Amino acid sequence: MMRARHPDVAGTVDRDRVRLGYEVYGDGSPTVLLLPTWTIIHSRFWKFQIPYLARHYRVVTYDGPGNGRADRCLDPARYAADSYAEDAAAVLDACGVAQAVVVGLSMGGQYGTRLATLHPERVSGLVLVGPALPLAPDPDRASIAENFTKPYPDDCQGWDKYNLAYWHDHYEDFTKFFFSQIFSEPHSSKALEDAVGWAAETGASILEAEAMRPPVGGDGTRASVASPEAAVALWSQVLTALECPVVVVHGTRDRIQPYAAGVEAARLSGGELVTFEGSGHMPNVRDPVRFNLVLRDFIESLAP
Amino acid sequence: MRASSPHTTDPIHRQGVDLYFEVHGQGDTTLFFIPPAPITHSKIFKAQVPYLARHYRVVTLDARGNGGSGRPTSKEDHSRAQNIADMLAVLDATATNEVILVGHCTANWWCVEFAAQHRDRVAGFVAIEPGVPFIGPVHQHWIDTHETWDSMLDDPQGWELNNRHVYLTQHRRWIEWFFSQQLVEPHSTKQFEDAVEWALESTGEVLVAGEEGIGIDVPDREDFRRLCAAIDYPVAVIHGDRDICQRVERGREFAELVGGELHIIEGGGHLALARDPVKVNQIIKQFVDRVSGARMESYVWTRGMSRRKKVLYLSSPIGLGHVRRDLAIAQELKRLRPEVEIDWLTQHPVTPVLEAEGERVHPASEWLASESAHFADESTGHDLHCFQALRRMDEILVANFMVFQEVVEEGLYDLVIGDEAWDVDHFWHENPELKRGAHAWMTDFVGFLPMPDGGEHEAYLTADYNAEMIEHIERYPRIRDEAIFVGNPDDVIPEVFGEGLPKIRDWTEAHFEFAGYITGFTPPAADEAAALRDELGFGEGEKVCVVTVGGSGVGHDLLAKAIAAFPIAKKEIPGLRMIAVAGPRIDPAGLPSHPGLEVHGYVPRLYRHLSVCDLAVVQGGLTTTMELTAAKRPFLYFPLSRHFEQNYHVRHRLDQYGAGRYMEYAATDPEALAAAMVAEVSGDVAYRDVETNGARRAAALISDLF
Repeated sequence: MMRARHPDVAGTVDRDRVRLGYEVYGDGSPTVLLLPTWTIIHSRFWKFQIPYLARHYRVVTYDGPGNGRADRCLDPARYAADSYAEDAAAVLDACGVAQAVVVGLSMGGQYGTRLATLHPERVSGLVLVGPALPLAPDPDRASIAENFTKPYPDDCQGWDKYNLAYWHDHYEDFTKFFFSQIFSEPHSSKALEDAVGWAAETGASILEAEAMRPPVGGDGTRASVASPEAAVALWSQVLTALECPVVVVHGTRDRIQPYAAGVEAARLSGGELVTFEGSGHMPNVRDPVRFNLVLRDFIESLAP
Repeated sequence: MRASSPHTTDPIHRQGVDLYFEVHGQGDTTLFFIPPAPITHSKIFKAQVPYLARHYRVVTLDARGNGGSGRPTSKEDHSRAQNIADMLAVLDATATNEVILVGHCTANWWCVEFAAQHRDRVAGFVAIEPGVPFIGPVHQHWIDTHETWDSMLDDPQGWELNNRHVYLTQHRRWIEWFFSQQLVEPHSTKQFEDAVEWALESTGEVLVAGEEGIGIDVPDREDFRRLCAAIDYPVAVIHGDRDICQRVERGREFAELVGGELHIIEGGGHLALARDPVKVNQIIKQFVDRVSGARMESYVWTRGMSRRKKVLYLSSPIGLGHVRRDLAIAQELKRLRPEVEIDWLTQHPVTPVLEAEGERVHPASEWLASESAHFADESTGHDLHCFQALRRMDEILVANFMVFQEVVEEGLYDLVIGDEAWDVDHFWHENPELKRGAHAWMTDFVGFLPMPDGGEHEAYLTADYNAEMIEHIERYPRIRDEAIFVGNPDDVIPEVFGEGLPKIRDWTEAHFEFAGYITGFTPPAADEAAALRDELGFGEGEKVCVVTVGGSGVGHDLLAKAIAAFPIAKKEIPGLRMIAVAGPRIDPAGLPSHPGLEVHGYVPRLYRHLSVCDLAVVQGGLTTTMELTAAKRPFLYFPLSRHFEQNYHVRHRLDQYGAGRYMEYAATDPEALAAAMVAEVSGDVAYRDVETNGARRAAALISDLF
């Protein structure tokens, strides 16, 4: 299969015994770092952004642990947001990049925010796309965490499939369900096929390790930040402390991360909010043209 | 009328010279506009200031020698040092710390040296057609005439007019030559008139001093180039590639030398800022946004397939005639396409009518400069030179187009309906890449026509405007997706667009669809008419004459004449009653009173009175006369003198319906008017029926576009 743009450099980074594959496209300025997201998919989900951005800037992508050209790591610690932030910093080091505009989608929003917190000098601007930040209640999915490790019902439907045992028993079916929720826009068949295909490159054991990751903040134990109030307080503090320009891009029909959370993230970070009315959780895939232009506008607005 | 009024204008005095400046708008970023005086003054930026003042604070200076500033006559008074000191004095007087300079032509030389001397006051620089020395080649005509500048020439011609003695004795001749050469773009008549008018506000003597003053203490070539190369603030150069004053190579080399960005207006001349104002405005805005570190702002983008169908409707506010037909069309459009949402971008006096109907007026409407106030301002007595008034509205049209373009870019409209929205139609043809959405153009007349007293020159001007419009449509047929003539082919006047141009009717039939006339209301049937007369308090034996002069202040003279005629006519017709409607701009208290005469300011839904009156005395506006035609009432109409539309287009259309009695205001005294009133009141009329399905036909044509 042809790609619209092949990497100019494809390398690997070993950070603390986990190997991550990265790719570099173009040689413009500034550098744009497109972060991984939940490891159920890998860096190909940026395929509509790379060819365009690489004509104007240098683009760096990489695969986080568990998918793509990265080791299938089973250590939950390597899926912590702060670990992702350190991975990202290591990739920038490997590419000789001092500072980048950082773009994170969904879980990538956590990784990017932590990168900007732990290594503020590496981030000139931060784009949070449908960020997975626990800032707004999501009553529809309140039961998910509760039931995650319980047995799943016989007639398992909808979000009940977000269940550890179900993943192991019916991984592909889960991914089909999950991406059908991601792509809430009509006529998303190709996007769905792509994502399910990328998901097939990893599996339930990896996602299980990811699900057991240590949380951000507290003393690193799940219990220390277990309450929703504690999570809100923690992320509010992190976002408020960000020093770089931020733009949040969020679809109003995002079924994974509520739009209200994006609004709140923009407010707390003092950033701007670009609302994609009618879009789901991955506007970069379903509305790539406008999404690319938003990135371009944001990057240009950062020019000295 | 100007499109933007300054909020600070008190001149300052520096060493005996008045310095006039204006401050428009507000904000943290200040733009400082410097014109190349004394050949012109700050009005040269009239197409830029209203737009940019909506986004930033704008300070303009009439540099010494022209405009509101003093006219010192010694060359020492016009040195660069003096002009630079003036610039500094104005910044201090307006408490302005830091500016982005915007200069034109030789004013850019002052700007470069100003910035070198006061680096902390300059954040950026837009050099429009820079007239800076020692950079790039110079036009041969400047080199040649430099030699003969101080010679007494026998019979100077062409560029030889660039001569101090010619300046002193034939100032206008030089000015007209100079600007006729600079305006290389076709159809530049208005820009030429403006430039000449502004130049002639100064004198030849001052212009000589200006020419000689700028050369006092000329720097060394290499020193000046080093000065430019050392520039460390952002610079944008805008240059027309057909500039006859400053060669485009000069702008290009200046941009390279200072490390600035270069914007070439291909096909543009030395006055690109006046001739391509939309593009120049956008270049300046984008540059200033970058320099001032404007950050990205939040917004909503709606997926293409998630959008509601949205229409932006522009209803001309000149007169009140358009809104009623536009409402009727909007209503039909909603009937055909119930899901459609209509926003209106328009202004007083249309806005309150729309709001009363529950229509949604776009909030950006408040940014529009008033077209109706401009037309009122252009009227005196019973006279409105409507073609010239439209030409003189150029500044307002640019300002309002810039508002429109922002609205249409943000609003994601499917369709723009412009009922005589001249700005949209003109500037989308001039800047076709800016078109957003489908565009339906509507008008009730085609072709500017000269009035006899305008002579050959006016015939030339109207032909030039018509030719420009024809060229627009021929070159960019994609700008008007639908063009609707509100009327029938026979309503189009049997004239030509001008010498060598097509017949108006042929061309209109080839380029328009015909909706038939659109009144926006249904005339009452006989029984309804009787009931309406009752409701309005028209007595059985009464003969009610309604006099109305529309919404502008122009009607006072006709109103007074009709009131003077009233007692004379009443002698003949004892039952005569006159209802005079002064409109919002005329004080009824200032008019005489008679028994049987009542004077009202505003009468809501006046068309009801008109539809059952026994006689109407009106101006020659299309809407009112056609309302009377549709209701088959007798009426006398007085076209405003020098109003080509009322005198030719409307009169021709009324003749198609056999309606109304044409009256010439100047030739009608109160006795003659009274006699006409007596002759016509309650007379039987045999007008042709006015069509009633025009709005439906127009809406059907438009609804196919989205």
